Amino acid sequence: MKKVQKSHLTPLPHSFWEIPVTFREDMRVPARVLSSEPLLDAIVGDRSLNQLVNVATLPGIQKAALVMPDAHEGYGFPIGGVAATEYPGGVISPGGIGYDINCGVRLMVSTLALKDIREHLEALSKELYAQIPSGMGKGGNIRLSVEEVDAVLREGAEWAVARGYGTREDLDYIESHGKLADADPAKVSENAKKRGSDQLGTIGSGNHFVEVDYVERLFDREIARAFGLSEQQVVILIHTGSRRLGHQVATDNIRRMMTAMPTYGIKLPDRELACVPFDSVEGQDYYKAMCAAANYAWCNRQIIAWEAQKAWENCFGDAGGKLQLLYDVAHNMAKIETYVLEGEARKVIVHRKGATRAFGPGHPELPDRYQAAGQPILIPGSMGTHSYVLAGTENSYDRTFGSCCHGAGRRLSRTAAKKQVNAPVLKEKLREEGVFIEAGSYKGIAEEAPVAYKDVEMVVDVVAASGIAKKVARLRPVAVIKG
Amino acid sequence: MKIEYLPHTADVVMRVEAPSQAALFEGALRGMAGLLKEGFCEGTDALPRECHFALTAPDTTCLLIDFLSEVLTRTYTEKAVFCKAVFNSLSEDRMDVHVYGQEAGGLDEEIKAVTYHGAHISRNKGNHWVTSIIFDI
Repeated sequence: MKKVQKSHLTPLPHSFWEIPVTFREDMRVPARVLSSEPLLDAIVGDRSLNQLVNVATLPGIQKAALVMPDAHEGYGFPIGGVAATEYPGGVISPGGIGYDINCGVRLMVSTLALKDIREHLEALSKELYAQIPSGMGKGGNIRLSVEEVDAVLREGAEWAVARGYGTREDLDYIESHGKLADADPAKVSENAKKRGSDQLGTIGSGNHFVEVDYVERLFDREIARAFGLSEQQVVILIHTGSRRLGHQVATDNIRRMMTAMPTYGIKLPDRELACVPFDSVEGQDYYKAMCAAANYAWCNRQIIAWEAQKAWENCFGDAGGKLQLLYDVAHNMAKIETYVLEGEARKVIVHRKGATRAFGPGHPELPDRYQAAGQPILIPGSMGTHSYVLAGTENSYDRTFGSCCHGAGRRLSRTAAKKQVNAPVLKEKLREEGVFIEAGSYKGIAEEAPVAYKDVEMVVDVVAASGIAKKVARLRPVAVIKG
Repeated sequence: MKIEYLPHTADVVMRVEAPSQAALFEGALRGMAGLLKEGFCEGTDALPRECHFALTAPDTTCLLIDFLSEVLTRTYTEKAVFCKAVFNSLSEDRMDVHVYGQEAGGLDEEIKAVTYHGAHISRNKGNHWVTSIIFDI
């Protein structure tokens, strides 16, 4: 198959570029890239746009296959991909959600400023590392029976709150209140439940982390006030998902769909896009299992937040106050949402793989406090660079099916990063710059070094220029906990 | 048998080459074990953990990916790394296999999943069986 080149892309308004439906005869809709020209040069360098063209062939896909400016090559879908399919007859594809179902980000705000904690940063990073299990093959401190796993899969973050991990108020500040009602634990395999029995409260490895940041700059003071953000304020960012339970749900269902696809006459250019009609038995079973895994992920982040609070109290006592949840949002998920297509409101199945839901002001899913501001969108950078808090706008509904970018996006392979980065030197350099790293291995530090990622400022500037989100605050890391 | 690990933007690509289907499957198993815990299977004779399972798949490539996925699942549920496979039967689209391994303690790499993306078993000029496999890590 021919590789997509920059010459195949036509510029559109609002920082979009289009690969026309004529590029390949099996495309059902065009493929659109949200990007600046410099970022596009990087994106065309790997196979992400060919993967996007493959997404444009999915049965029932609506309007366009989309990719955000933090795009990079994945498997099946590109990372940063968004695809909306017809409801209920269009397909659902586990590859459009990813193995880490409901991987997402949570931001908590403190009442302390950087000056209050600067002298205690090393102790805080060590305490967070001690309280929050992380790393390869590590289980957590909570061991669940199969019945308890079922309860977590049904109840999501509510399960944690009912057992003292946080407060009921937290649930208002989690996407979908931390619980998808369509979850059905009976659709989750015993293997998945076994894999999830000791994973609650753990961040895992790879690009997952817990990070202490401070608010370095505010861009929109009114929205920042609504979000409870102020300059120099210390905040904590958590990035992880449904851990091994979600990985197994995806594996089980991709395998099942591979066998089922011929029944529905579906042929695809890439097996990893395996999909079935949403309203088929296999489609419904996967959707209900995916919802259950999403609930597990929200419960996981709720418990990690409690562990972070415990570390915070151990360091600062009563003077540290409570960490308040600003928002918790997914970036690997499929949701049934309504958008205007061809002049009429229609339900669609929005797949987001490495893309964040981004609702504008007034959306009924948002808590009262954010009704005027729009949904908080949390964009982690990398250790040593910035992260961002954005706010959703109504423009995203028409342009990106209510979606935005999810991070900086990788530019180097892990192998290349390890070759380029001397991890002990990097750790020391970051320490000199005021960033304390606690990690399970030097390998993990090298793989996740800032040089491995694109420039997050460029990514955020594109989404702001496109009008799908507003810049609210820039965060700077001061302590990073990784597996 | 030849196993290579190649760079990929977010994940790991493993290329395996072997003189027969069974050798390819066992090579892929050992390659995955090496990724989970480097050198774990080298010079190891005692493999006290055993699992038995049977699989069917639409084709040989899917059978290989499903085989590795099944072993990966058991790696986590049994808390062991598996190094050896003994096939009771192995055809283009089905297998009956015993895999052997041992407890590993911590892992060097956490593999989320074995993907079908880009995997395709073919024969090279030397009539060896070859494929690449992308692991989501």
